[in-house]
Order: sequence, then structure tokens, then C-alpha cells
Amino acid sequence: MSIGVMLLALPILTMIAVIASPEKSAKWIAFGGSSLVFLLSVIWAVQFPGWHTGAFWPDEPGAGVMTRFGVSLQLGVDSVSMMLILLTTFLTPLAILGSFKSITTREREYYGWFLVLLAAMQLAFMSRDAILFYVGYEFTLAPMFFLISIWGGPERRAAGIKFFLFTFLGSVITLAAIVYVAVQAFEATGVWSFRIADLVAFANDPDVGLTSAQQYWVFGALMAGFAVKTPFFPVHTWLPLAHDQAPTGGSVILAGTLLKLGTYGAYRIAVPMAPDGGVALCTFFAVLCLLAIINMALVCWVQRDVKKLIAYSSVSHMGFAMLGLFSFNMIGVEGSVMYMINHGLSTGALFLCIGMIYERYHTKDMEELGGLAKRMPVWAFFMVFFTLSSVGLPGLNGFVGEFLCLFGAYTAAHDAATGYPGVLGPWFAVIGAIGLIVGAMYLLIMLGKLVWGPLREPHAHGHAHEPIKDLGFREIAILTPLAAACLWIGLQPSPMLRAIVPSAKGVLVNYPAAVERYHAERAASQLGSTLVKSNDDAATKEPLP
Amino acid sequence: MSALLHTICEMSIAALGATSAGAGTGASTALSTAAASLGAGPVPVAHGILPALVRPDLAWAGWIIGLPAISAIICGLCCALRIRNKLPALSTVVSFAVAFAMVLWLYRTLDPAQPVVIPLFEWIAFAWGDGPRHDLGGHFALYVDQLTLLWMLFVTGLGTLIAIYASEYMESDVGKGYARFFFGVSIFIVAMASLVMADNLVFLYLGWEGVGLASYLLIGYYYTKPSAVAAAKKAFIMNRVGDLGLAIGIFLIWTNYGSVEYSALFQAIQSVGDPAGGWDASLIPFCLMLGAFGKSAQLPLYVWLPDAMEGPTPVSALIHAATMVTAGVYLIARMYPLFMLHPDALATVAWIGGLTALLAATIGMAQYDIKRIFAYSTVSQLGYMFLGLGVGSTFGACYHTFTHAFFKALLFLASGAIMHGFAGQLDLRRLSGLRRVPGFTIVSWTMLIGCLWLAAFPFSAGFFSKDEILAAAMFDPHHGQPILAWMGLATAGLTSYYTFRVWFRVCAGPVMFVPGDDQHDPHDPHDPHGQHDQHDPHDAAHDDHAHGSNAAHAADAHGGHGGHGVASASAAGAAHGHGGLVAHAGSGFHPHAPRFAINGVLLALAIGAVLAGLPTYLVLSGQASENWIASMVGHSSAALGVPHAEGAGDAAHAHPHMLGMDGHTAMFVLSTIVGLTGIAIAWFLHLGNRRFADRLRGSMLRRGWIRWLPTAMEHKWYVDEIYHACFRMPAWVGGHLMHFLDRHFIDGLLVNGAGRIPPLLGRLFQPLYNGVLQGYATTMAGAVALILAWIVWKWVAGGAA
Repeated sequence: MSIGVMLLALPILTMIAVIASPEKSAKWIAFGGSSLVFLLSVIWAVQFPGWHTGAFWPDEPGAGVMTRFGVSLQLGVDSVSMMLILLTTFLTPLAILGSFKSITTREREYYGWFLVLLAAMQLAFMSRDAILFYVGYEFTLAPMFFLISIWGGPERRAAGIKFFLFTFLGSVITLAAIVYVAVQAFEATGVWSFRIADLVAFANDPDVGLTSAQQYWVFGALMAGFAVKTPFFPVHTWLPLAHDQAPTGGSVILAGTLLKLGTYGAYRIAVPMAPDGGVALCTFFAVLCLLAIINMALVCWVQRDVKKLIAYSSVSHMGFAMLGLFSFNMIGVEGSVMYMINHGLSTGALFLCIGMIYERYHTKDMEELGGLAKRMPVWAFFMVFFTLSSVGLPGLNGFVGEFLCLFGAYTAAHDAATGYPGVLGPWFAVIGAIGLIVGAMYLLIMLGKLVWGPLREPHAHGHAHEPIKDLGFREIAILTPLAAACLWIGLQPSPMLRAIVPSAKGVLVNYPAAVERYHAERAASQLGSTLVKSNDDAATKEPLP
Repeated sequence: MSALLHTICEMSIAALGATSAGAGTGASTALSTAAASLGAGPVPVAHGILPALVRPDLAWAGWIIGLPAISAIICGLCCALRIRNKLPALSTVVSFAVAFAMVLWLYRTLDPAQPVVIPLFEWIAFAWGDGPRHDLGGHFALYVDQLTLLWMLFVTGLGTLIAIYASEYMESDVGKGYARFFFGVSIFIVAMASLVMADNLVFLYLGWEGVGLASYLLIGYYYTKPSAVAAAKKAFIMNRVGDLGLAIGIFLIWTNYGSVEYSALFQAIQSVGDPAGGWDASLIPFCLMLGAFGKSAQLPLYVWLPDAMEGPTPVSALIHAATMVTAGVYLIARMYPLFMLHPDALATVAWIGGLTALLAATIGMAQYDIKRIFAYSTVSQLGYMFLGLGVGSTFGACYHTFTHAFFKALLFLASGAIMHGFAGQLDLRRLSGLRRVPGFTIVSWTMLIGCLWLAAFPFSAGFFSKDEILAAAMFDPHHGQPILAWMGLATAGLTSYYTFRVWFRVCAGPVMFVPGDDQHDPHDPHDPHGQHDQHDPHDAAHDDHAHGSNAAHAADAHGGHGGHGVASASAAGAAHGHGGLVAHAGSGFHPHAPRFAINGVLLALAIGAVLAGLPTYLVLSGQASENWIASMVGHSSAALGVPHAEGAGDAAHAHPHMLGMDGHTAMFVLSTIVGLTGIAIAWFLHLGNRRFADRLRGSMLRRGWIRWLPTAMEHKWYVDEIYHACFRMPAWVGGHLMHFLDRHFIDGLLVNGAGRIPPLLGRLFQPLYNGVLQGYATTMAGAVALILAWIVWKWVAGGAA
């Protein structure tokens, strides 16, 4: 039994153990099981031979289910999915550990759902079959729905339902696009297959593959689901509500890894499957990214609730990640993948920090809280650290992704010098870079209110019988690994950057030609219109012989 | 007398010539061919910079960055373990001193003309193919040439001295913020060393933002005080605006020249020049400039620097006067080959520099807080440096940076000693005659040296360096901007006025002082403030002078402090110039005289400031054939194609003339006259007849036609208010608008509206399911009819086709 399957099975086994265990020990079993999953994933990553090849591993066809339609249980990872699996397994035990105090009711169910969520996310990152991916992708909805609607804040029902319906509706369209491509492939080749590699190969086949008009719609439909999940600007409104209402652990996983399913889906399926569509639509999506970056940053600025602020900042930050991806060159895609991981680390950590405050004061309102550095210096250190990482300070992780995403967008002009001509260009990077300023603004304003300044505490707790204490050992133990990871990636990103290169090359392999086609078509249409015009002129001026 | 003056002028001209000659001969032959080609016409790109030599064997130089980093870790541990001794200061001082020794060693051993690259390890580095523009080389690697060493010498040297000073200055915080303070200082040196020694622009960017971080942490050191928090935030965000320019500049450089590494970049510039003359290539210097103006507090991004004085004084001296703020000068000097390709960019740098110098000097004239005055003077002097860069005198700019680092650090540390001793008092109207106060003699006299140097008193180091810049502005054949030279001269007059306004008010005159609000005396255990641990000792002091410099005293110079019985009496005394000696007698306040560390560092800096003029003195006295700073600059990328550092003949055969004299003599005479006039006016108004100064001010404020001038100057020309109205308010309103739209339009109307459609549809069809049998029958009949109609229609349509 390969470790990959064990990674899927172990959370489920742990879940059964948690359900069967007494209420008191549920959290420890969940923590132990998820830590074991993390250890296993590390072992798997050490064994993984594909860090420098871009190949999938294990590269086996996988057992078939629904063989009539070619659905298979093909599991395998390349370097990028491996990194995201590591991120997931790294964050989950920490999120579970962070829930120890805040979850006091129905603990077994809570940790059970958490473990199901872990399994589902790993399934999505591990599967090489589109249907299997979809199963994992959709299956994350149920546990997260319950986490929000049972253990959330006062508006948890509405938040849970909105989260579920919104993302579900989006991903149905994605499923439709996947099925459409598979049906097209079946009609052209006579073989049913839902393997992502097969579908991508078919869609890009110059003879029987999808036409560029088909690719346009396929890309749009695939992105419909991923855009909701990421989330893109106008379809993001489920996110602030969900984060606001979710329990701390749920927020950590939601921001840390669940959103990455959207960007990962785009990276793994949408972008390679429909390059013509991607090239045609990337300007549209990039404009949405810019709107997200600037708009959401401004919205962050006026938030009073610090958790909502971080939630909106996620929308803004994911805009950077997608901007990098849609620049369709190596620098941008590298940046995008780095951003996925870094955002998971630093935003997850920020949610944990805020959860620690919420546990103590039962408020997240920045008008009521302030100057907490005086009361909780250790917490203040971590809060400042992760905020700076989120701001994108070089030397910490956030910078690597942000810088490369903007760099990628900048160099994505129509210039083949990098080997990857693009459609976006300097202006996208310049406008996106304004987000650097506004981003620093709202995050530092948040720090100024929450961490610095004269001490302000809610009245009920100012003279409480139990004085507010600084972080305890458990909380420091949660945040320290995250801080270490942020620092390590910030100082040593090059091994990761190198590992991404071959995978990104595979994703972008059809793009240079697609971009050339796109520019040629545009030039031709312009030329055509001028030709028609000159013909008209010629026709009016001199009669045909 | 005039004959003597003339002789000296001749000598200084000779020195200039010698300087240039020295640089020319010292450099490679390639450089001299460049000089030859530069002699005539527009400046072509010269083949001046040798490809860097890769020297992995010098990897120990990485410890110049590594040791302060280790010190930062030690300070962090002290913070975490709540260690209550001076260990943080010790580790900081030792690591800085060793780093300084290592820089000196590099300076002694390296070949001046040969830049060296020292690879350490990889950072943001990856490649996706072979060939140009298929990789990104953001390595942790050091590029060491003479410009690097010049900067590193004063960064680590001053860093060591100021850390020693701070070990005493901050001692009341031992066990509280002491370790945090030295953590910030160590982080600062790490970042500054990265900035200066970086081998590529991405690594430089790390240092660039890193010094911003250190600055943020240290300005906000007294974090319970809202004004300090606001100042820290402002500094970081203003710097971010500049960083945006630098980031885009890096993108542009990579796309145009295919590399971010200096060595490859310089070679590319020399071989390619201006690639295809594209619009984006000509934007490069403007983007870099934005970054430089942000970091070095130039128009339009200077407003953060005066506010940064909220930080502890050693920080103001180290970061906001001597080192960090010169990073912009370094960036432009380092990237000078790019600027040489674009004369417009150079002219912009010169104009921004000249205007900033003038503007900041006018504001500095009307402030009352000593630290703020020096902060504005820093902005102003940085303006001179940019003026020097813009008119092609990189030597002048770098020399001025070097001398300025010493005398400005000295001035800040002296004012810090005063602040330390007088319970945070920094209002120049409440301090007088300190040179006669016991224990403050060294402070006063070293401060006088600093003031003389800042006021560019003849034969001070500040005079030589400033003169170099102004002469270049006046006479440089390629980049000269005579208007700016005249403006610079006027600014020099203002500078010497406001500098000596401080010294004559504070150090000279009758003895009088009012302690600051912070009456905390560390030796007095009964003092109630001493146990007040919610407030840091300097909190109150800062609050006080924040008022003092702002609106509170704008209307009434005689305004006393209601809170202090004695204080208000003596404030009035100060205004009337008498009664001062009596004033402090009753207050029971004893100035806290600086001890060994502070006095020692002040003396060392004063000596350093004097010695900063040594390169020129040696040349003047014929001991040396060249100014060694000129030769250092001449051997670096800052010299590529700069007429001054090359071609000995250039200055010689140009022979500019002005006012019937040789040009350089004229400049010398003019700056001397202007400077001495400023000092004389300051003497008259602020020492000889202080009452007249107050009357003059009062009468100006009474007359409507002139009232705007002092008022606007005191209010810093309302620039903060203008920025608030133009940028912050619109963004704030925009934020609220967007939030409203997000909640009520996108989420409320569109999303929730879409969510209402299914229930609405349900309600529409609800009557069909009313549970009455006839109803269902009707429904069924209707449905069958509809289906039939559809089939018939399809059939008819098909038949028609």
C-alpha cells in the first residue's frame, strides 16, 4: 500500500477512532492522527523522485471505477501538488491544536469533520483523474459546511448555506465543462477517459482537439467554479461572511488550503486544457484580479472587525496569485504557486492569532481592542511577524510570491525573449503594484490599532476576575512552526522555485504557440478590417475594369 | 586677507584638478579612453567598469551581514527570556565593531579598480532554459567595489559609535525595551549592509525594505504613544510608495537588459547602451528615482522623515540622519550608468534635490524642536546630495554623504544628550546657555563643531563637500544647472541661519533651562514618574515637544506651560532674555549630565567630522595628490562617464569665469559670504538681541500681508494637510464606498437577489400544487396542451424547412 493511499486512509481511520472515542480524548486522537498524516506526507515527500523532473509519481494507471466511462482511481503527485499536500498536512494539525480551547461542544463531530476535510483535500490534490478531483473538490464542501454552521458565530447558518450554495453552483459548471471535454474526446477518439492528462492531450490536439471557440467556452466554464473558490472579485462575497462566522480552525483551513483548490484547479486543469481560451480570456480575468487587489484592499481599510479584514485581504491576495498565473510565463506561474503556499502559511497564522484574541476577549472589534502589545508581548511578536509576512516583506515568505507574480505580469508582454510571450503587460503589474502600497496601508493600520498604541480592552474584561494572560505553551507551539516555515521560505525559496520549474513547464507547454496564434489572429483581424476598408475605398474611387 | 584667500582658492582649484587627474590615472586604461571620448559633445557610454571578479574565497565577508544578524538573534533571545542586563548592547556593539574591522580589511586588501563578486548562497534564483532572459538571478551575493566600501565604512563605523552611545542613552529601559531596541538596531545594520553590498537589485530590494522595517520598528519604539505609532506607519507607507518605483524599475531593467546582477547589467549597458530607445527603457531612471526619493526623503515623499523623530535619538542619528536616508543617494550612484543614458532623468534629480533643499530649509527655519530642525536640515542636505548627483558630480554627492554622516550624527547625538539631561526638553526657547551648565561643556562644544560643519563654515569638511556640488552645478559643461547653483547658495545661507539659531539659543547666552514634562530622574527613587511603568520615560517629553513645534506655539511665542509654575516663569524669562539663572534654582531639577559613553562618542564623532575633511586638507596642503574619496568614487560604477572623475583636462580647459574672478574662486567667496551672513543674522537675532527677534516675529504676525509667511513655514507649508486631503481622504471615502457596494450591491442585490429567484419561482408555481384535485387536473391538461403545441409547432416548422 503506497503512502499516498495511506494518506487518504489514515484521516478516515482516525475519524472513526475519534467518533468512537470518549468526548474528552477526541481532540488528542485527532491531533495525533493528523500529526501522523503530516509525518507520512513528509516521508512521502522525501521519497518523491519528481522534484526535478516534473513527472507524476506514482505513474500508474490506477484501478478503474465506472470503467464504461473511463473513470479511474489514478493517484499521483508532481512537485506542485506535493507542496500543496505538505501545506495541507502541515496546517491541519496546527488548526486542530488551535481549536483545543475554542471548541467545547460536540467535539467528536468537530474533529471528525476536520479529518474528513483533510482526506478530501488530499484527494483533490492527489487525483490525476478529473472526476476523482471533482469528488475531492466537492467533498470538501460538506465538512466545511458543518464546521461553519454548527460551531460558527451568530450568523453561522446563513454563512454556511451561502458558502455551500455559492461554491456548489460554481463547481457544477466546472463539472459540466469536464464532461463536455470528455464527451468530445470520446466522439473523436472512441475511448472514454477522464484522466486529466488524456483530456489535456486531446484538447490540445491540433487535428481532432478543441477549436479555439470551444476552448474559449471550456476555459470560461472551468474557471466558473475555480473563480468562486479562489475567489475572484465579484463572486467573493461568500468568503468574508464564511470567515467571519467560521470557528478559528475552520478559518485557518478555509483560507490556508481550501482556497488553494481554486487556484490549483486553474493551474492543473483549466490552464493546460484550454490554452486558446486562456489566452483569450486572461485579460478579462486579470482585470478582475486587479479589481480584487485594489478594491478589496480599500475595503479592508474600513473594516472594524479584524477577522473580516483578514478575510477581505485574502481576496486581495489571491488576486496576486491569479495575476501571476494568468501571465502565462515562468516567472508569473512560479510566483503564483509560491503565493498559494505562502498565503496559506501567513494567512492561516493570522487567523490563528486572531482566534487567540477572540478566545480571550470574545470580540474581534478593533474599536474595542487596542495596544495589546502591552498585555501580550509574545502574541504581539507573532502578530507583527505574520502581518509583515503578509505585507510581503523581503526575507519573509510573502515577498517571494508577490514579487514574482508582479514580475511575471510585467514581463508577460508580447515579447518572446523569455520564451513565453504573454498577453498581459506592464500596466497590469503597475496597477497591481499599487496593491503593495494599499496592502501595507491596511495591514499596518490594523497593527497600529490592534497591537500598538495605548492599551484598550473591552470593559467586561478590563477588570475581570481572571486577568488576560499572554500566550501559553500550546499557542506558542502552534505559531512557532508557522513562523519558522515563513522565515525559511523567505530566505531559501530557491529549492522550491527550482522544483516548480518542470511542473510549470508542463502546464505552459502549449502557451507560446497559443499566444502567437492569438496575436496573429488579432493582427489579421485588424489587417482584415483595414483591407476591407481600403477595398471599399478602392471600389468607390475607381470602377472595376 | 584677500590675497591669502585667493591663494587658497587657487589651491583648491588645483586640488580639484588633481582629484580628477588622480582618478583618471588610477583607473584602468579603459577608463581613460572613456575619458578621451567624453571630452567632446554629448556623453557617450564609456567602457569604464571592469567585469567583476568572482571571489568565493572572500566568503567570510558574508559575516559583515551575518554578525549583526547573530546579534539580532541574541537580542531577540534576550527579549524572549526577559534578560535584564546590557547584554544586547554588548552583542550589538561587538558585532558592529567586528563588521567594521572586516570592512576595513576588505578596503586594505582589495584592488581598487577591480570590482569583486562574492557569492554566498542562492535566494530567488531559478532558470527555465539557456540563454538571456531565461533565468532570474536574485542571489545572496556581494558586489564589492569602492563605492560599496565607502558606504560600508561609515555605516558600520557610525553604527558602532552610535550603538555605544545608545547603550548609555537607553539604559533607563534596561529590562523593558532595551533588547527590543538593540534588536531593531541590529536588524537595521543587517538590512543596510545587504542594501549596500548586494550584488543584484533583488537583494538590494531586500535591504531596501529591510531598512524600512527597522525604521518602522524603531520609530514605533515607544509603541504606547499614538504619535509614534502614526509616525512609524507613515514612514513605512511613504517608503512603500518609493519601493513601488524601485520594484518596477527592477522589472524594467530585467526586461531591457536581461539581468538584475550589477556586473552583467553594467556590461550590458556598456555594450548595448539604450536598448532600441524604447519608452520603457527611458523610464528606468525615473522609477529608480521614485524609490530613491522615498527612502531619502525628497520631494514629494519627504514628509515621513521629520515625523520619524518620534524614535529614540540614537535611532534618529543612525537611521534618519547618517545612514539609511542616504540609501537613495547610493542607489542612484550605483545605477549611475543608467542615469547617464538619460539626461532628462539627471536634470530631474537635480531639480528635485535643489527644490527639496530649499523647501526643507525654509521649514527648518521656523521650527522650535531641536530634533525637528535637524530633521529638516537632513532633508535639506540630502537635497544637496541629489543636486550633486543630478549635475554630474557623483564625487560631490558621495563626499557630502560622507561628511554629512559624521556631523549630522554628531548633532543628533548632542541634541539627544540634551534631551536625556533635561528630561526630554527639546524646545529651543526653553533652553539657554548650556555651555555653562556643568557637565554639558563637551556637548556644547562638540555641537558647535557639528553646527559649523552643517553651516558649511569655511574650511570645514561640510564646506568642501557642499562647494564641490555647487561648483559642479554652476560650471559643469554637460549637466550644470546654474539656477540650481544659485538656489543652493541661497539655501546655504538659510542653513547657516537656522543651524546657528539653534546653537546660539541653546548653548550660548545666559543659563536658563526648563525641564521637559518628563521630570523623571533615574537617581531619585521618590519620583512618582519613576515607578510609572505604563509610560516610557520619554513619552511625555515627546508629547511636549510635539506641541511645542506645532500649533500650540504658533500664535504666541510667549505661551508658557500652565502645568509648571516655575516653568512658565522661566519660559517668559527666556522670551525676555533675563532672569534665567534664577529660574532653575527653585525647581529642584538637576540636569542629568551625560557620562562617559555619551561624551566619548560625541568627542569621537567630532574628531571624525573634522577628519572627514582630511582628504581635502591633505590635497590642499600638498601632502596627497588626490582626494581619496574622489578616487574611491572614481573607481566605482558611479564614475562611469562622469566628466568630473575623469579627464584631468576637462576642468582645466573649461576655465569658467564668474564675477570677474575665476569661477571656483567666485564660488568660494560667495559661499563664504552667504554662510557668514547667515551666522551673523542668527547671532544678532538669537544671541545679541533675542527680544528684537520676538518683536520682529510678533510684528510679522500682526501684518496681514506678511503673516502667511511665518505661519506657513511653521505649519510646514501645510504639505501634510494637502496630502491628507488629496490622497488619504479620497482613498478612505473610496474604501467606504467600495465596502458599501460590496455589501449592498454585489452581495445584497446580485447574490442574495439571485438566491431569491428559486423561492420566487417556487411561489409562482405554488398555486398549481394547492392540493385540490381539480387543480391538478387543470395543471395536467395545461401541460399536455403545451406539449402538444410544441410538437405541432416543431412539425410545422420542420415541414416548412
